[in-house]
Amino acid sequence: MEKKEKKIPLINWQPPMVKVLYALIPLVLASVYFFGWRCLLVIGTVNLAGFLMEYLFVRNWKEPVSAAVFVTSTLLALSLPPSIPLWMAVVGIVFGVVFGKMVFGGFGKNIFNPALTGRAFLYVSFAIPMTGKWNEPASGIPGGFAKFTTDAVTSATPMAAIKAGNAAPPFLSLLLGNTAGSMGETCALLIILGGLYLIWKKAANFRIVLGCFIGMMLLQGTFWLMHIRHAPDPLTTFLAGSVAFGLFFFTTDPISAAQTDEGRWIYGFVIGILTVIIRNFSAWPEGMMFAILLGNMFAPITDYYIREFKARKKKVVAAA
Amino acid sequence: MTENGWMAFSILIAAIFTDNILLTNYLGMCSFLSVSKEIKTATGLGTAVVFVMTCTTVINWLVYYYILMPLDLGYLYFIVFIVVIAAFVQLVEMIVERVSEPLYYSLGIFLPLITVNCAILGACLFMIIRNYGFLSSLAYGFGAGVGWALAITCMAGIREKMAKVKGKIPKGLEGAGITLIIAGIMALAFIGFSGTMNIR
Repeated sequence: MEKKEKKIPLINWQPPMVKVLYALIPLVLASVYFFGWRCLLVIGTVNLAGFLMEYLFVRNWKEPVSAAVFVTSTLLALSLPPSIPLWMAVVGIVFGVVFGKMVFGGFGKNIFNPALTGRAFLYVSFAIPMTGKWNEPASGIPGGFAKFTTDAVTSATPMAAIKAGNAAPPFLSLLLGNTAGSMGETCALLIILGGLYLIWKKAANFRIVLGCFIGMMLLQGTFWLMHIRHAPDPLTTFLAGSVAFGLFFFTTDPISAAQTDEGRWIYGFVIGILTVIIRNFSAWPEGMMFAILLGNMFAPITDYYIREFKARKKKVVAAA
Repeated sequence: MTENGWMAFSILIAAIFTDNILLTNYLGMCSFLSVSKEIKTATGLGTAVVFVMTCTTVINWLVYYYILMPLDLGYLYFIVFIVVIAAFVQLVEMIVERVSEPLYYSLGIFLPLITVNCAILGACLFMIIRNYGFLSSLAYGFGAGVGWALAITCMAGIREKMAKVKGKIPKGLEGAGITLIIAGIMALAFIGFSGTMNIR
């Protein structure tokens, strides 16, 4: 036990969380470039609200606030549309932090990804602001840095357009990110670079990313070759919408993912498969969020059966 | 596949995922909350529910369409279904005890619990309300049971993990409270499947 006189620091900067924050900086800048300074306002507000919510809980426990709350808040904010009303974003983060994390006992104890819990709550509660209004991305040299917001249009995101049977935007614009979409999900290039940085720094587990990628490519490739329901080709699927963002930043959350190595492969693979199924067949244009929550839900039971299986194998080896 | 077979298949998948009887209809909550502490007991109860639900939907379908309907006694179906379920469960319990002792000890203790599980009666009533044919009823009963078992197994996994990491759960939320919150988030995740398959 620590001595009582020792002052508790306000914030506990865990190294892996700080690395994730570093990887998120380019995405925040990209969101400002494409959609104006309002993005920074939303991200700042969400971070403040998330911090205050966590502080309310940890104050009684006499613990520092974990830096994970900034990761959660920034991720949630980046996954929202640029035109989201501020109060709605705050509702999302409050729900995510309180019911996704703090009721389970705070950092390291949560079962579901808190950012996604908050986002799913917003998604089903406020469907129109979350899915109906998108902003036109800025282009050119000062781009969004000279504007507060860009023009709001009701134009569909690449995902919704694909679902309606229209052609997907060309690869290059998906890769660079000048398409309509959530604040941080449009620029696939920066997401991939940030994700590779996380894998290189071992803040993200490559097994999850690879498993998810393989599962998605296999199933989407099958659907694409069979021409089922306007299924787009696997590369477009990967670049459009939130898949890359979810793959590198949400699935790799070490706490809500599976805890065994074999489990991580399965966990990633299941998320990949479910994403493709939900994207192509369900009522929603986007599937990554629900797929990851479902993956979180199946992760503990996967771990349990893998440990059981290993224990049994060991017993057989010992007997033989 | 024939038209009927295809419909039964889509009902089977829909009953497991898109219209999970536990996470979208919230039936069978009481045993879900109380028996989901350990994975072993949860899978035991889940298996028993799959078995009983499949058999009772089939029996109740036959009873409804070949006994109640010709006699114009359709309004009695609530009572009749409950009696059929209770009688069936008792019968199975006795047979299992006679035939296989190990099976009785792994499954038997859960059987009386199932008699009062509202999900079983719910599945039988849905089958009548939605006008399912025989094959569809069989698929629905089996699918709803599998969906229920899947949900309770996941919940047990989550609760075992929670017991392992020993989080500081707020006092007022221990036990049923936190379990209901988890069930809520699980249901939120299951919304993702909505629209994939049609249950009717």
